[in-house]
Amino acid sequence: MSAHNRGTELDLSWISKIQVNHPAVLRRAEQIQARRTVKKEWQAAWLLKAVTFIDLTTLSGDDTSSNIQRLCYKAKYPIREDLLKALNMHDKGITTAAVCVYPARVCDAVKALKAAGCNIPVASVATGFPAGQTHLKTRLEEIRLAVEDGATEIDVVINRSLVLTGQWEALYDEIRQFRKACGEAHLKTILATGELGSLTNVYKASMIAMMAGSDFIKTSTGKETVNATFPVAIVMLRAIRDFFWKTGNKIGFKPAGGIRSAKDSLAWLSLVKEELGDEWLKPELFRIGASTLLSDIERQIYHHVTGRYAAYHDLPMS
Amino acid sequence: MRTGVIGLILPPTFSFLEMMWRICPALAVGCTVVALVPPASPTPLLLAQLSGELGPFPGILNVISGSASLVPVLASQPGIQKVAFCGALEEGRALRRSLAGECAELGLALGTESLLLLTDTADIDSAVEGVVDAAWSDRGPGGLRLLIQESVWDEAMRRLQERMGRLRSGRGLDGAVDMGARGAAACDLVQRFVREAQSQGAQVLQAGDVPSERPFYPPTLVSNLPPASPCAQVEVPWPVVVASPFRTAKEALLVANGTPRGGSASVWSERLGQALELGYGLQVGTVWINAHGLRDPSVPTGGCKESGCSWHGGPDGLYEYLRPSGTPARLSCLSKNLNYDTFGLAVPSTLPAGPEIGPSPAPPYGLFIGGRFQAPGARSSKPIRDSSGNLHGYVAEGGAKDIRGAVEAAHQAFPGWAGQSPGARAALLWALAAALERRKSTLASRLERQGVELKAAEAEVELSARRLRAWGARVQAQGHTLQVAGLRGPVLRLREPLGVLAVVCPDEWPLLAFVSLLAPALAYGNTVVTVPSAACPLLALEVCQDMATLFPAGLANVVTGDRDHLTRCLALHQDVQAMWYFGSAQGSQFVEWASAGNLKPVWASRGCPRAWDQEAEGAGPELGLRAARTKALWLPMGD
Repeated sequence: MSAHNRGTELDLSWISKIQVNHPAVLRRAEQIQARRTVKKEWQAAWLLKAVTFIDLTTLSGDDTSSNIQRLCYKAKYPIREDLLKALNMHDKGITTAAVCVYPARVCDAVKALKAAGCNIPVASVATGFPAGQTHLKTRLEEIRLAVEDGATEIDVVINRSLVLTGQWEALYDEIRQFRKACGEAHLKTILATGELGSLTNVYKASMIAMMAGSDFIKTSTGKETVNATFPVAIVMLRAIRDFFWKTGNKIGFKPAGGIRSAKDSLAWLSLVKEELGDEWLKPELFRIGASTLLSDIERQIYHHVTGRYAAYHDLPMS
Repeated sequence: MRTGVIGLILPPTFSFLEMMWRICPALAVGCTVVALVPPASPTPLLLAQLSGELGPFPGILNVISGSASLVPVLASQPGIQKVAFCGALEEGRALRRSLAGECAELGLALGTESLLLLTDTADIDSAVEGVVDAAWSDRGPGGLRLLIQESVWDEAMRRLQERMGRLRSGRGLDGAVDMGARGAAACDLVQRFVREAQSQGAQVLQAGDVPSERPFYPPTLVSNLPPASPCAQVEVPWPVVVASPFRTAKEALLVANGTPRGGSASVWSERLGQALELGYGLQVGTVWINAHGLRDPSVPTGGCKESGCSWHGGPDGLYEYLRPSGTPARLSCLSKNLNYDTFGLAVPSTLPAGPEIGPSPAPPYGLFIGGRFQAPGARSSKPIRDSSGNLHGYVAEGGAKDIRGAVEAAHQAFPGWAGQSPGARAALLWALAAALERRKSTLASRLERQGVELKAAEAEVELSARRLRAWGARVQAQGHTLQVAGLRGPVLRLREPLGVLAVVCPDEWPLLAFVSLLAPALAYGNTVVTVPSAACPLLALEVCQDMATLFPAGLANVVTGDRDHLTRCLALHQDVQAMWYFGSAQGSQFVEWASAGNLKPVWASRGCPRAWDQEAEGAGPELGLRAARTKALWLPMGD
């Protein structure tokens, strides 16, 4: 894992003059999807790359150790062995980037991964996921407990009420405290952009989160009405680029929720490549939070290898 | 009523969609089209195939694939009623000169450059995307002049350079390219431009993933180009962006309007008031707020100044192919031996025939310039005779210097007048109408001396007053909203004044024609320089006495004198925005020829008399259409 973002002092002048024009960003979002299409063997390569960015996620009320175990095994072997062999990629160690679960299930996940002989990190959501409307004390305690259980990445949610009321210093302080509670674990800050109201707020919240020491900024919990969309992503990627220009720190980006088809994932890769460049296309700086995406990618690869369309039951469940 | 046969001349850089946007409205109103397209691209062949498929009506769309040398041949064909030319500036000028006097009307849509104004309250990243849309893509027609507010210069340049690095160029079927190539000629043009810019000390930056073969040219950003260099005066070719700084929004308007081109522009600012002020102030045909390059067939697209004054799309696009019903088709008034260099150059001097007999006439009228009567520069006057040959009065002989003074006075009065609300303008016109009625007996007696019966004279005066009132009431409120598919937000079609309008009145109907032409011009916010009827200018000068007290100085200026000489001065004046000529056929031809100087829109009668007392010809909608120009203002909305 790369070094942590130490964060910077709070500097409100970085966000005071910012303006984001929504219709123009929408137009850019449409263009990206239309203008960068990848086909044939390059598409297969891009899809395999996309697999390595996935944080395989299960965040339901009915998670138990059995489906966690299945998930972790799928994380180790995301694509069927014979398909990888046909592409000559079976020995490249293709796994997903991480496994993402609720704090109560972290122990199960760590155990299952050890049994499978896999060293990919376990990411835990914390701080009152998904709404974040609990006391600060319990939220910090959640983080500490998850880290104790063995999670090496923590996905926190910000307090949306602070953004909507413009209390930027308070937001900065809270995220700083999350950072401290994480210790050595990686901090991913979920902005819940669907509830922030405007793209200008999204930019400001991203900047504050990065200044306070997040290693990743994440678009959404996956539980809002509107999750990861291209316009929001464009604004967040621009914020990441501006932070990099000001401080030299590279912060990662994770869209989560609503990414279901392989075509979508290719568009997301194009977006990051266009806005930030190739250096961000690594698991240390880019993740995709998804659960059913993996099966769609596997079906596309099946089609590329065999020329036929697979049924869902042809491929192992996750 | 539809015009007839349209000859359409298209440049090689047009896409199929743009060609369709010009052809379809013409066909829709019932005209037939002959399109001349250059042979370099395969698009015309598709057009030709399409026209062949119009089974039941063969011949409504004809396509000729030929080089630019066929342009004059097509334009001078006898059956063509209108020539619509889209292309480069110099060719448009040459075409205007060669078509002077021919029976075909000319519509010009010239130039491809656009403008992008980036203020410090803009979303800079989105504005950079706007630059990409405008200049570094296949959608933009030409290069871009980029004006950036000084306080955000560094930010904007950094983001531009970063964005340029990510552009990809290649063949269109590649599927992952931003822009293609536009042919060898365009490539040569831009290479020459960039080389010249570099030699004049500009900084040139080129980036992007571009193949190095001939017709492909990388996206180019030019900065630090001194504004006085010759490179900065010509049109910016594709795919070049020339960036210059400005300090305040007011300076931005001056810089942006300080070019003879007036095609399209976009304003990037998140402050609504500032964005609208800039949008209204720019002298262009289309303004986009926080967007660039949006197009729709229902929105009129065109230009002003040297971008030509023909329109496509929207209601104005249809008016291009229509003429008022009841008017006959235009006749050619071409006289091959009209010497443009000597027409109206010298004023024929009139020596008095013999000693004057009869009562001493009143002292000569001066020229009505700048709100008061003043003596002409040449210090000479000429006699006006009434219908029985007796002396009616003396009027001043105006010359080139007087025209110059009149145009300057009109320009000084223009900003104030254009800024008046429609209600204020209406009030002034109504006041003038009332003054005319008070003066009825004097005017009627003067008309009687010119041979008009008393009853008819009084009717003429009444009709003039009525016309003034009617135009005052008809002054349109600003902006009506168009429905545009796919855009969230309004698009306003504004009618703006042209500027200084030069009007040469006909000989007949000395009072009525004068008032009928003055009223719509003033109602729409223009200021006017008029040459009244040569036979009897005294009636116009009587009206001037009222205008001296009622109107702001310089609003309407009346210059009497030799009509051909004054016409020459006005037609050649580069700072007159439009000209209406109702005189001889030769004069019409000269006016059309001379308008090629600054490509001002002209309306010439070609020697045909007009029934000024009829509603349709004297006060019809045609006058209103010609007295103002359109501007489309796009306001995409969303937060």
